[in-house]
Amino acid sequence: MKRAHRVVGTPARRADGVAKVTGAARYAVDLSVPGMAYAAVVRSTRAHAKITGIDRTAAAASPGVIRVLIGDDLLAAGLTPYYGHVVLDHPVLAIERVRFHGEPVAVVVAETKREAAEAAELVDVSYEDLPAVIDADEALKPDAPVLHERRGERVGDEGMDEGEKGLVGNVCAIARVGWGNIDEALARAHLVVEGEYRYPMLYGYAMEPYNALAFFDQGDLVVFSTAQHVYMVRRDLARMFHLPLARVRVSAPYVGGGYGTKSYTKVEGMTAAAAFFTGRAVKLDLSVEEAMLTTRSASAHIRARSAFTKDGMLLARDFQIVMNNGAYTDNTPLVNSKTANRCFGPYRIPALRVIARSVFTNTVPSSSLRGFGAPQGNIAGELQMDEAAAKLGLDPVELRLRNLVGPGEEFMPGKRPLDADLKDDLRCLASALEWPGTRIGRSIGLGVSASDAGAYPTSTAAVRIHSDTSVTLFTGSTELGQGSRTVLAQIVAEELGVPLESVGVVNGDTGVVTYERTTGASRTTTITGRAVQEACRDARRRVRELAVQAFDLPTSEIEDTAGGIRARGRGFSYGEVIEKWFGAGGEVLGHGAVRRAEGFAKMPPFYEIGCTGLELSVDRETGQVHVTKLTTVGDVGFAINPALVHGQDAGAAMMGLGAALHEELIYEGGQLVNPNVVDYRVPRFSDIPDEMVHLLAERLDGSGPFGAKGAGEGAGNTVGSATASAIGRLLGIFPRELPATPERVWRLIREAERVRTRKTE
Amino acid sequence: MGGREIHLRVNGGERRVVIEDQTLLIELVRSLGLVGTKLSCDSQVCGACTVLLDGRPVSSCTTLAIEADDKPVVTIEGLADGAKLHPLQEAFIERFAFQCGYCTPGMIVSAKALLDAYPEPDVATVRHWMDGNICRCTGYQTIVEAVLDAAEQMRGAP
Amino acid sequence: MLRRFDVHRVTSIAEAVDARQRFGEDAAIYAGGTELLLAMKMGVARWPHLIDVKAIPALGRITATNDALRIGATATHWDIERNALVGGALPALARLEANVANVRVRAAGTLAGNLAFGEPHADPPSMLIALGARVVLEGKSGTRSVAVHEFITGMYQTALAGDEIIVAIDIPLPAKDVRVAYVKFQILERPSVGVAALGTVRDGRFVGAPTVVVGAVDEVARAVPTAQFAGADARDARTLDAIAEAARAAVEPTADLAGSVEFKRHIVGVFTQRACATLAAQAS
Repeated sequence: MKRAHRVVGTPARRADGVAKVTGAARYAVDLSVPGMAYAAVVRSTRAHAKITGIDRTAAAASPGVIRVLIGDDLLAAGLTPYYGHVVLDHPVLAIERVRFHGEPVAVVVAETKREAAEAAELVDVSYEDLPAVIDADEALKPDAPVLHERRGERVGDEGMDEGEKGLVGNVCAIARVGWGNIDEALARAHLVVEGEYRYPMLYGYAMEPYNALAFFDQGDLVVFSTAQHVYMVRRDLARMFHLPLARVRVSAPYVGGGYGTKSYTKVEGMTAAAAFFTGRAVKLDLSVEEAMLTTRSASAHIRARSAFTKDGMLLARDFQIVMNNGAYTDNTPLVNSKTANRCFGPYRIPALRVIARSVFTNTVPSSSLRGFGAPQGNIAGELQMDEAAAKLGLDPVELRLRNLVGPGEEFMPGKRPLDADLKDDLRCLASALEWPGTRIGRSIGLGVSASDAGAYPTSTAAVRIHSDTSVTLFTGSTELGQGSRTVLAQIVAEELGVPLESVGVVNGDTGVVTYERTTGASRTTTITGRAVQEACRDARRRVRELAVQAFDLPTSEIEDTAGGIRARGRGFSYGEVIEKWFGAGGEVLGHGAVRRAEGFAKMPPFYEIGCTGLELSVDRETGQVHVTKLTTVGDVGFAINPALVHGQDAGAAMMGLGAALHEELIYEGGQLVNPNVVDYRVPRFSDIPDEMVHLLAERLDGSGPFGAKGAGEGAGNTVGSATASAIGRLLGIFPRELPATPERVWRLIREAERVRTRKTE
Repeated sequence: MGGREIHLRVNGGERRVVIEDQTLLIELVRSLGLVGTKLSCDSQVCGACTVLLDGRPVSSCTTLAIEADDKPVVTIEGLADGAKLHPLQEAFIERFAFQCGYCTPGMIVSAKALLDAYPEPDVATVRHWMDGNICRCTGYQTIVEAVLDAAEQMRGAP
Repeated sequence: MLRRFDVHRVTSIAEAVDARQRFGEDAAIYAGGTELLLAMKMGVARWPHLIDVKAIPALGRITATNDALRIGATATHWDIERNALVGGALPALARLEANVANVRVRAAGTLAGNLAFGEPHADPPSMLIALGARVVLEGKSGTRSVAVHEFITGMYQTALAGDEIIVAIDIPLPAKDVRVAYVKFQILERPSVGVAALGTVRDGRFVGAPTVVVGAVDEVARAVPTAQFAGADARDARTLDAIAEAARAAVEPTADLAGSVEFKRHIVGVFTQRACATLAAQAS
């Protein structure tokens, strides 16, 4: 039962609304400084090759060119030319070797964009081809070409990196999860569902491509970019230039889409290097095509087995996961680890074995993308629940209900017990979709997931209460469109009892605001929100302290009220207390910090719930899928801003639908065949399901402010598996590979026909 | 050849500018500080760069700036009347029809052209017209609702 | 960003023809530029000179006689979609035009430009060929008209001579009782299969043979041999199956991201059936 709040829990209008609808909002790409130079990148035309020479003469002599930079220049200057979240293996510019088609080999800096681009074409790189490997399973073979004979230095992170043991050949990361006796459970099972499943390589397509503006300001490095994690980038740049953190400033204005694709360092290193070597401010804007050659998500090939009793009780689950993580490590150990954690679902599983391996290949490096392993894991884990139900003659909803863990129950040993009522969520979803559905030719698919979300709970925030009782919030959280500025402002307004309109937000700038570990992993509301609460409480403490002195009263006679305090029988606004204490002007500063302790001691800080279903029909002649209904249940504990939660659920679900039906990066001959949005098909207006419903489940069961938990990824995590299960129930054969393109579905239909014909013979 | 002078009429203002024949309209517009119009796909398919040229929505990334000679150009900056937002802008805010906002200027400009051509569009008309604008954040439904709301508002206004 | 070029604005056909001759292969005719500029941006083509024909008054007109529509070379898809003459005489063409690419491409792109570029994945050629349309060309040696199916000679290849420009597209208007249908299969930015069908159906039977042209799937649009269907029962599934079979045999699909040869060939059959079924349905 929700308590009535004043500001939180309401669909407050977004703080960035006017700026964005009028075109006034500034993104990194819009920024410029006087005297700025422009950079253009020279990219590898080979998938795997030794660099035998780079001839810069013609380019350097080209009109307007200031400098042509290569990886060896960074080495020669004593800079650290590698970066990486866990392993320092990603060269800012290729050194000795290129490991994927499109890898940056040189940067040309010129007075104008055109001059840089024209000169870039004149850089002559000679290569000695090496055998390349594109497929992850191929890369695991003993005779496969090895991408990293020497591994980079491990800088480690958060304990989620499983370490170097077992990382042989092209194995980038290994994660193992398990308990119980698998073989025994499989042996005595009534049913073992076995299969191989594939989830595609995806491109997030944030519509603002990566870009950065970098310059050195009296020895301090300043970078404006599209970074989601400004503090992570700061760390990489500080290491690169051997600068203390205090002398590196990274700032992200409005970011034109993130979804995880802008996590960690992308073009900031290159751009800062260009500034370093030229002494100029340098702007680097990537095209969408170049952005697609920068980061993509990991595809997965999963061999899975799930063992059930006759009544559909899970006895065991076994997953062998191979993921294709591209040429460099980036945050692969984390994605790999999360995929391992997220494939088996929030069920009671007596025996479990998961071995997840992410493998280097000569392809674009992979990094975060919405879902972070859950969509990949679910195409096997959730779909096998539906396959089992079909084989056992049980209702797939009922099958899940029998196996789902309940609130407060542990389903991963040693980890936080489940902080959600998934059974209730699932029943709610099934009811909303009118499960099992009676419309001929329509089929319903649904799925539940609980992702160990939130990343690492390190966050700080600060609030400044001004002498007119207005408040500024400082947060390192970046505004990617998810509405962090609005949600966090709502928390401030609620905690301090001030009008929302009087709360200003300054965010995402390491030189100005306070430390925030990351913006992603659906953590901002929950974790940053708690830091914001703590900052507000700290500010209130200070106001009370000031009041004690200003009014010469004992603490016991000061009471917190909305927007101020109560003393001597009347209320005083914060501003009045401040003015009284200072005599003229002044302000109060409150600081808050959260860490892995108290409410966040147990990991994960919270589970992000995914509970999504859809109803679809299939044109049997063409294989085209038409989605008639898409329904999400946002189990978020407490919706600080319900409209923003709906926005996240709708966006995540549509992204999931894109992967389920259309999206796939395709390699051929060592190159991406479709590195553009003409040939890589993201969802359009014409793909909107006939009916989209977004429900909320608020049981105040989260560790975040007011009982909140995160949103942003959950709703998309089971769209792929739900789509496959709906198609499977309709056709009689479950698709095990996404996207379920018209041709793939058409082939399944023919396969089903053949099976049917054989059966009747 | 050197520069070509054109008579630029953008958002109700007038000025003469010197450009080159191959200058793209988005390059010109952004160079004048009108950076609301955004570049994304650079191949006419995403709509982030949509501006109105002589009343028609065009991909400014694939339109020569010389085409704007003596023709009215409307960018997102030209929709509001001072502090008074256009009904589409109000509706986009009311309906939460944006998130990161990068597609939003092109989306709103495209919607304006729609409502100019079809003051009473149905859902199918909205989806068909707007199909050339991509949004990666919202899932589109709130945008459809915002456009329909704005249409109603504009019909009802005195 | 585009490589440097010069735009030459001409105000008469004669001037355009002169410019064509003068610059030879270094020049392209430019109207909407929706295909041209994109090709230049992608680096697949380069023209140092563009001849802008939009200021030639005659080229912008859409006119009609009792028997034919004449669509000027600079008429855009947007213009054609909305033109009252087209809407009245050939609504199927208006509908096709309304569904070309996206609204911004329609606003600037021309039908003539679409044909001149020879893009294999295009909507208009199949319907224009089915209607017997002709492209009107003018060059140094005068005017000539070429049937659309002879004008587009291959992928990105046309019969346009070095000194010629497209002046108009002449579309004979089908008789009152002739139904026109166009259906397409599209999952990416361009159509993968387009089928145009024309025919008269009376008392459930084709009067004469239906015309079926399959586009967007092969290197050029292909006419389907349909003589054997003269007088056939237009509502019989077997007739539609047979026409579909003929259509499948008439094309050599190009495999690409939208599908394999096998799948596309199958889709050709499906959409041929659907187009022909529409003819029968329209008639009743």
